[in-house]
Amino acid sequence: MAPTTFGWLIILCPAVGTMLIALSFKRLPARSAGWIGTAAIAASFGLSIAALLALLGHTPDHREFTSTIWSYDSSVGVDAKLSILVDPLSVYMALVVSGVSMLIHLYSVTYMTLDRGFNRYFSFLNYFVFSMLLLVLAGNFVLLIVGWAFVGAASYLLISFWYRRTTATGAGIKAFVINVVGDAGLVLGTFFIFKHTHTVDFVKTFGAVDHVFAHNSPDLVAGCLLLLVGAFAKSAQVPLHTWLPDAMEGPTPVSALIHAATMVTAGVYLIARMHPLFEQATTAADVGAIGGCLTLLIAATVGLVMVDIKRVIAYSTMSQIGYMIMAVSVGAYSAGLFHLMTHAFFKALLFMAAGSVIGAMAGAQSLDRMGGFRRALPFTFGCFVIGGLALSGLPPFSGWLSKDDILAFLDHRGGGFIILGIAGYVGALLTGIYTFRMIFRAFLGEPVEEARELEHGHLHHADVPRNPMTGEEEDTDVGFPGPGHFIAERELPMKVAMSVLAVLAIVGGVLQIPGVDAGIERFLSPTFADSHLAKELPSTRADWIGLAIGALIAIGGIAVAYRVWVAAPGTATRLRERLAPVYTLLINKWYFDELIDLVVVRPSLWVGRFAQSVLERVVIGDVVTGGTTGIVRAGSAAVRRAQTGFLRYYAALMIVCLTGVALYFLISSS
Amino acid sequence: MTLSILIWLPLAISLVAALLAPRALVGRFVAIGSLVTLGIAISFLVRFKLGHAGLQFVTDKVWISALGIHYKLGLDGLNVALVVLTALLFSASLVWSAFREWERARVFYFFFGLAESAVLGAFCAQDLALFVAFFDLMLIPFYFMVGMWGTGERVRATTKLVIYTLVGSFFMLAAAIATGVLASSQHGTPITFVLSSLRALPLSRDSQEWIFLCFAVAFLVKMPLVPFHGWLADGYKAMPIPVVAVFSGVVAKVAAYGFLRIVLPLFPYASVHFQTLMLLIALVSIFWATAVAFTTSDARMVVAYSSIAQLGFITLGIFSLRPEGGQGALLQMLNHGLVTAAAFFIVAVLAGRAGGSEDLRDMGGIAFRAPVLASLFVIVAFAWLAMPGSPNFIGEFMILLGTFQSKLAIAVIAFAGVIAASYYALRMYITSMHNRAGREVASREIVVPDFAVIAPIVVVILVFAFYPQFGLRRSEATLKTTVAPAQVLAARGPGARAAIGAGGTAYARVGGGGGP
Repeated sequence: MAPTTFGWLIILCPAVGTMLIALSFKRLPARSAGWIGTAAIAASFGLSIAALLALLGHTPDHREFTSTIWSYDSSVGVDAKLSILVDPLSVYMALVVSGVSMLIHLYSVTYMTLDRGFNRYFSFLNYFVFSMLLLVLAGNFVLLIVGWAFVGAASYLLISFWYRRTTATGAGIKAFVINVVGDAGLVLGTFFIFKHTHTVDFVKTFGAVDHVFAHNSPDLVAGCLLLLVGAFAKSAQVPLHTWLPDAMEGPTPVSALIHAATMVTAGVYLIARMHPLFEQATTAADVGAIGGCLTLLIAATVGLVMVDIKRVIAYSTMSQIGYMIMAVSVGAYSAGLFHLMTHAFFKALLFMAAGSVIGAMAGAQSLDRMGGFRRALPFTFGCFVIGGLALSGLPPFSGWLSKDDILAFLDHRGGGFIILGIAGYVGALLTGIYTFRMIFRAFLGEPVEEARELEHGHLHHADVPRNPMTGEEEDTDVGFPGPGHFIAERELPMKVAMSVLAVLAIVGGVLQIPGVDAGIERFLSPTFADSHLAKELPSTRADWIGLAIGALIAIGGIAVAYRVWVAAPGTATRLRERLAPVYTLLINKWYFDELIDLVVVRPSLWVGRFAQSVLERVVIGDVVTGGTTGIVRAGSAAVRRAQTGFLRYYAALMIVCLTGVALYFLISSS
Repeated sequence: MTLSILIWLPLAISLVAALLAPRALVGRFVAIGSLVTLGIAISFLVRFKLGHAGLQFVTDKVWISALGIHYKLGLDGLNVALVVLTALLFSASLVWSAFREWERARVFYFFFGLAESAVLGAFCAQDLALFVAFFDLMLIPFYFMVGMWGTGERVRATTKLVIYTLVGSFFMLAAAIATGVLASSQHGTPITFVLSSLRALPLSRDSQEWIFLCFAVAFLVKMPLVPFHGWLADGYKAMPIPVVAVFSGVVAKVAAYGFLRIVLPLFPYASVHFQTLMLLIALVSIFWATAVAFTTSDARMVVAYSSIAQLGFITLGIFSLRPEGGQGALLQMLNHGLVTAAAFFIVAVLAGRAGGSEDLRDMGGIAFRAPVLASLFVIVAFAWLAMPGSPNFIGEFMILLGTFQSKLAIAVIAFAGVIAASYYALRMYITSMHNRAGREVASREIVVPDFAVIAPIVVVILVFAFYPQFGLRRSEATLKTTVAPAQVLAARGPGARAAIGAGGTAYARVGGGGGP
């Protein structure tokens, strides 16, 4: 079969899964929706492997295939068709997305068992995977935007999954609206490019870029900057990031899948896909790199002080995506995409492990209340440490090879890029600190009551479940995080999913070892064959020097965390007091929420109230309508009769009058 | 089968029903009849030949020979889909009505049938005088339906509606007559109102300008756009739900359609001259209406004001004077008709579960035990906010692309309206379906009769989502010739336009080029 046939089937499987679960939600027996959903994604994963093999069956120069089913929006010069593009990049993304999704579906079968919305959950989750696969396989801008918006919709639906919690619905609408800002950026960026290329097709656009755009031509830079707005909104980069921490209101497997492993990395994919445009618009590419760099630093610093365990991981996700955005913006495509994959492994693992801890805490997520779970949750602890080491970049874990690949590339490009590289190393140090702060606080130290109970085999359950954010009593009709409180130690599907990811987090790096195999780079090279940046790779020696520096920094970060939170407890409190202004800035997340509230939300609502109370009531209601009515009223007694109920006479009278006017006009002029 | 049968059938059915059917069965009789009308409309759609710019299924009879008025009907790319939309939404509204009790039911259904005939007539009319006649005829049943079956402040609502629309109608009548009369006097030909003939007789610059303004006032009042929307809040609030669904769904579209059918081809010079003005009115409408939809707590008003904003987008597309914008505008008329009608029906369903209140503050948490209703609503909400993947997105995409190509700054500003739409649509969904349950809320699943009305509309939306090309393909050929005269003029720039001067003949080569 042609690779594109597999491509269509990859998209089709989760679509069928969604429809099947959604249409038969009332008749499905227990848990079967979960297994249907998992099977659909497993089928997609199998088909992705088949597509990979089909692609490898062709010579590297001929690994780009397109296929069209029908015209979607093609008229008056616009040529948007329902078409997919199957090339190494899209197959690579499909493999990562479907593979990780499969494991998270498996985890969810247990995690959501007792939830009232079990079937709804799996139809949404399958819909998400469908959308994400559509996004990565889309063959033109319009279809890409469709996939882009669909993942945003799925993200919204799953963030507000427990929809009686106002925190969840608030977070949902925030995420959705910021994502629509991104969609608008993508559409407008497409317009700027379409204006010159007269096509929305990827292959044709990329073929035309060098002919129709001069280097850094204004329209191209504008278009690429707008594409960056889309990428930044979806990938939670500063300043469009504020939705991601709030999105942690969704079920934990959703955080693992959508808000860590797959959807939020769509911005990275976008820039990599659009590399012929960005390489011609270097100004925009530089903006992307600087934005990614700022995000990785800002998010890492906030991660140091957050107490909600899921939010620490969320800020960590932002920070890691900052690395990827920086990488693909400067031309380190294979390194950035490699980090995308390893990050998907270890970050999904960390979220799953966090889900297990939260289960043991009966829904509480604050690190302040956790401690000493090492003995009570040995498996979870092991997974958390593996994920944490991979995230910190300790050899030989996967994150070490991928992140330092990026930083070595930056140093190699030289000039101002070295500053970005140094910032990346600072971020790596902070990563080690915040990751192990989390691990030490949750798992070491004196066991808390919940941990002690669990050591005696009893899983803690709250008497009256309350929303930890608001203190509101939870709604048991629709559900809330819980009520099952599953821990990985006791549930096989969770254990399997986490074990697979733990193994991948350790050994996933072997796919690309500098000087040994460089597998990812070689596989992706046909997609980036037209790139001149991708060819300027650092030497193997430079790569290994970078890896050595990265390893030392990771060890340093972990050592600092050990010193502050284990060896000398109380250091954290002293630091907080000594650096009070810094702490205030960080605990308020650099005041981005307040800034957006001040600049966007309040003015919009004020304008809305002004429109309603002044414009509508006074201008339209009194002046325009009142004025018109007054004139007519003065001229015609019929209006008064209309108001007393003789409407039909009034209407008839008006028609007669009009006819008279018409006849007069006709007669007098002809 | 001729278009006359399609147009007059609804009126005939409602007359027969009013006179012969037993009182209790009038509604069902008319509803079933409307499905027959829908079937006939679809048969025209099926037989419609693609790729032809000219009129098809033409009926042309001299009506008033002394005045050159013809009874001329025809379908082309501009109206073929709108005719089917009209039949579909009237069927939906009549089915909805048939499941409810109405006082003086015979009269009610008679007016409904009259309204459908008039709207279909206005869409099919190919003679300016006939269009005006149908346009005014269309409004009369609505005055009565608001006045007699309305709720709340219905007298005030009716007064405003009558005054506004009659003032608008007066402007249009004067403009229509002037068009025919001036065209014949400026070219020395016998008087005619047939649109295709008028296209060959372009008016002088000055005449075009004032006639354009008259038509614009009439259409802008009818849509409505800011600042001509004073009647909308009371009018939409007072109308019974099935009435407001067709009123917002199709009647408002007649005005937008009028710009494409009459104004752009007949007054291309004025269209270019007032292009910026019209685009600004559209832009102001988008923001004004969005701002109100942002803050109002009345569910019905959210839909009503959002429809002003949507019509603002449609106007933006039309006056981009580009084929992309025109295509987008036509597609968006269909999409908006479907979505707004579904949204009004859903408001009624929601109110039925919130103790009869349409206030969003009394709603909340309805999704519980109503997963089907929640699913239908979420699909409608996503289409409403023009999420990519919905047919509305393709409409907005084309509209904004057209605007982008002609006036970049306006397109960029209009994007803020797109973003804001996502907030008000989702806010309405969340405050009604999600969060904690309101005090009076009884969470119940949607009942079968309501489902039978809303679900088919949602299915049509979903089909369009996969294949928006369906609408675009049918309108492409006609739309290109409609926009061409104004597009050519706009592309020549202001200097060239001034040089064309007042001479009708010099201008005729450009303006009359595209007519069939």
